[in-house]
Amino acid sequence: MRHYKIGAVTTVMVFVFIFSLLAGCTSPVAPAAKAIKVGFNIPFTGPAAEKGQPIGQGELDAMKYINDELGGVNGNKIEVVWYDTKYDSNQATTNAKKLLADGCAFFTAVSSKDAVASQKIANDNGFPCLVVFSSPSLTHPSEHMYAQLPDYGDDWAAFTKYYMQNIWKGNGKPKMALEIANTPTGYGVRDAARAAAADLGVEIVAVEEHTATTMSETDSLTRIQAKNPDVLFISSTPAPTSVILKNAYDLKMMPGITVGCAHASFTKALVDLAGPTVSQGVYGVFPTVSWGDDVPGMAKMTEYAKARHPEFIGNGDYITGWASSLINAEIIRQALKTSTVDVLSGGDAAAWKAAEEQGFLQVKGYDVQGLHGPVDFSNPLDKRGSKSVKIFQVQDGKIVSLTGWVDAPLIQYEKFDWFK
Amino acid sequence: MSLPCGIRNYSYNTDTAIIRTRTQWVLFAAFLLLLFAMPLYIPRFGLDIINLIGITIIAVIGLNILVGYCGQLSIGHAGFMAVGAYTTAILTTTFGWPYFAALICSGISAGLIGLLFGMPSMRVKGFYLAITTIAAQFIIIWIINHWTDVTRGSIGMGVASASVGSFQFNSEIKQFYLITGITALCVLFATNLARGRAGRAFVAVRDNDLAAEVMGINVFSYKLLAFFLGCFFAGIAGSLFAQWRGNITAEDFTFSQSILYVGILIIGGLGTSIGPILGVGTMGLLLYWLLPVVLTPALEGMNIMPSGFSSGLGPMIFGTIMILSLVLEPRGLAHLWSLFKASYRLWPFSY
Amino acid sequence: MTQLLQYTITGLAVGMIYALIALGFALIWKSSRVANLALGQLVLISSWFTYGMLTQAKLPIWLGLIVTILFAIFLGWLIERFTLRPLIGQPALSLIAVTLGLAYFLEGLVTVIWPVSVAKLPALFPQEPVNIGTAVISQEYLWAAGVSLLLFAILSVFFKFHKMGIAMRATADDQLAIQACAVPITRIFSMSWIFACIVAAIGGVLVSSIGGITNALVETGFKSFSVVILGGMDSFLGCIIAGPIIGLCENVGAGYLTGIIGPGIKDLIPFVIIIIVMMIKPYGLFGEERIERI
Repeated sequence: MRHYKIGAVTTVMVFVFIFSLLAGCTSPVAPAAKAIKVGFNIPFTGPAAEKGQPIGQGELDAMKYINDELGGVNGNKIEVVWYDTKYDSNQATTNAKKLLADGCAFFTAVSSKDAVASQKIANDNGFPCLVVFSSPSLTHPSEHMYAQLPDYGDDWAAFTKYYMQNIWKGNGKPKMALEIANTPTGYGVRDAARAAAADLGVEIVAVEEHTATTMSETDSLTRIQAKNPDVLFISSTPAPTSVILKNAYDLKMMPGITVGCAHASFTKALVDLAGPTVSQGVYGVFPTVSWGDDVPGMAKMTEYAKARHPEFIGNGDYITGWASSLINAEIIRQALKTSTVDVLSGGDAAAWKAAEEQGFLQVKGYDVQGLHGPVDFSNPLDKRGSKSVKIFQVQDGKIVSLTGWVDAPLIQYEKFDWFK
Repeated sequence: MSLPCGIRNYSYNTDTAIIRTRTQWVLFAAFLLLLFAMPLYIPRFGLDIINLIGITIIAVIGLNILVGYCGQLSIGHAGFMAVGAYTTAILTTTFGWPYFAALICSGISAGLIGLLFGMPSMRVKGFYLAITTIAAQFIIIWIINHWTDVTRGSIGMGVASASVGSFQFNSEIKQFYLITGITALCVLFATNLARGRAGRAFVAVRDNDLAAEVMGINVFSYKLLAFFLGCFFAGIAGSLFAQWRGNITAEDFTFSQSILYVGILIIGGLGTSIGPILGVGTMGLLLYWLLPVVLTPALEGMNIMPSGFSSGLGPMIFGTIMILSLVLEPRGLAHLWSLFKASYRLWPFSY
Repeated sequence: MTQLLQYTITGLAVGMIYALIALGFALIWKSSRVANLALGQLVLISSWFTYGMLTQAKLPIWLGLIVTILFAIFLGWLIERFTLRPLIGQPALSLIAVTLGLAYFLEGLVTVIWPVSVAKLPALFPQEPVNIGTAVISQEYLWAAGVSLLLFAILSVFFKFHKMGIAMRATADDQLAIQACAVPITRIFSMSWIFACIVAAIGGVLVSSIGGITNALVETGFKSFSVVILGGMDSFLGCIIAGPIIGLCENVGAGYLTGIIGPGIKDLIPFVIIIIVMMIKPYGLFGEERIERI
């Protein structure tokens, strides 16, 4: 019995030893060829995989399109380095450090949790970072983190603005209730409401939290119902949002009050889970166009999606990922106007500074081929790229777009003591 | 310890020495040299993973004292790490204390909280106690998320790197020496604890606490001591983690982390001094380097697997390793290591 | 007052669901003294399998449910055969740890086979809510409560009177003694795990028809721990009674405490109850107190 164990242990140890030697040998020593490198920190696996997979594949497919069909940026192919964060903060931090060591000019982080984990490395080293799903603490105060899209607080602000202009027909201030997840997705809305409700002209009468695993929110909705709100805003993920909608429907709150959802939950999954009757008339905010809309970038993206990842057709996150790579290319294009390939591929502080000052900050009014709101990084106070969202509504089980690009007003969190 | 032929112990000191012969001293010195010269031959990014592994080793050492030596099952260790991390964050950022003072305070505060949640060990044991620690984990995380005046809730707190006066540990190499130094101290402390009076009392409590009580060991006070020490180490680990990462939120200390630590401890070997190190070393490399950095991009690059494959692969592999190690070798890697040492000494004699 | 009625009704209903899942846990504890920490994942994989049968393979509902039960039986047998049988006689820690490893494995397996992380079961129950006084409750909860009570009745009768049930209780008491009585202990473990998986499957179908299939099903397992602790880990009666108590405390407590302490207190209540129970009456309301002798 002991014989085979000894043999097994020795074999395993020899393997481990050889493996670690090989690993040590293949550690990156800068190769001779000079290519501009960009990094991606993607939660491909783990709890956020349902968003990480479509976004990550969208990013990689778009990069393939840029390199293969467009020949890179100004004829320079972009080298893509990406690592999986498994939605684990430790992993995200070590990945960010590796992207730094690999010589990337800048990198893209997908989820706000991973971005928060990478924040110190980005800010301490001046290593600029594009964040797909941002949160206020990343961009207020802003150093080297740039948000691609408006965050959940901005969703709330844009919806409230739309509500005040188009739906509210009474006098005075409408009463709004918030149902938020007990995660940054929800807290972003709570903080935004705390900062800007008075300015936008609504009165927050109730804030209720729920977990992502809740089976019944009848009790919190009962409390909300007692305060007689005119509008309810939900910021959560699809499953608990569907539970809330069903409970609200059972309590006969709907149809009646206006319900709006932030973009984390406003996807086809929500309509499927809640059912067409319950979700009828629910408003939602989403930062990109829908599949099939007539915009310049739709055709090429659909072609690549059909060929490589047909399971993501209809998934808004794929569009977000594709757009994020387009923005990466635009940043490099701007940077190459005043800088050189040599500088940008240097993988050192000069490269990052060039990428940021001559790349990021020069991106003004880039249309992202129509896939989401125009991107502008030139305002140092507003590190959001796209500042606008679209308002949608569920009609007969389908998500229908109601507006063009609605600007989400900038909320200056730095002014508030409770934020610091 | 089995000594080579001809070496005998004539005094208590030599009998209880950890490193006894000259060969062992030479090997030990060589090991220390290799360890502290790591920045020379391991790239920066690898050093970062080693730092994380070092921090995890400290936490699992604490868990080993609690679960391995004293037999009190605890599945809430990440919560106690969170206490340590937030104590450091609050003391250094809000009150401006120097880092090393905050480090000791984090350990003590986490130990005290552990003491509080260890009170039920007076009445229950085994799985009931495990449930209490699970509840402890959830309660601690809830408090961190909701006591926003102090902990800033989900916005998180920023922590500066450790510093002594004006010297800041702000590069991987400096962090490496800081963390490896503290880890070495913790390993030394834990090993000597296990060999001393308290360690023997812990083992007695683990093996049969009624008999221990009958023999005169104050079972409850030793259980509380185990909780305090285990959570003290968790607090130290949490504090180092906070300054290594730079900013912390409650989401960094999840329940899956707690389960992971218990799993790693079991794979490494419960109740041994080298168990935590082996377990964290192998599992840490597997989970933080092999899977996400080497395997997932390779699999995705091949583009042949369905989308969920690499997602599920990590937990499946870890779960399988855990089940296999419990079924095949419940005493863990530490036991395999001692078997290897024994057969090396005795080869070619197989008895 | 209407609020109180609503909180009460919701609390009772949600509590019965916790009790249903807790029954699976109590079943395994009662028959083999193993703490099944993989309960949430068993519920998850059964729900996903049901989804696979009903939506992907498009079987009619009655056939799909029967196939799910068969799958649960097979899964229970597999688990017992390969992870628990080799560990007979090992200390409790190993058994708990192997269920932890199993939990990880099942979660990974679910992600590999069904990479979509949210799905909906076809409607198994009528969607109209029912009015009780001024309170509203949707029918799915009532069905879940009914099924819980039915399962409780069946299991209690089985364990009290059927030969196999008595053998299971004896096994939990003293494994060596039961082996000396020439009862095949492996078959008893198999049966208990099979039953537990069936209960988990039924619970999974009911819970996921309320909220959809997500990874959240795992967390519902944790809430059930508080039910099991309060009621007593080896008592079915304890589960059925403690479930609604916990549900009530959650909803009514949250209803009135939220105004005082702030939102989110609802999530904390089950865990605080665990701590309180541990200090006062560790073996639960109906649990059997273990008296140890050297």
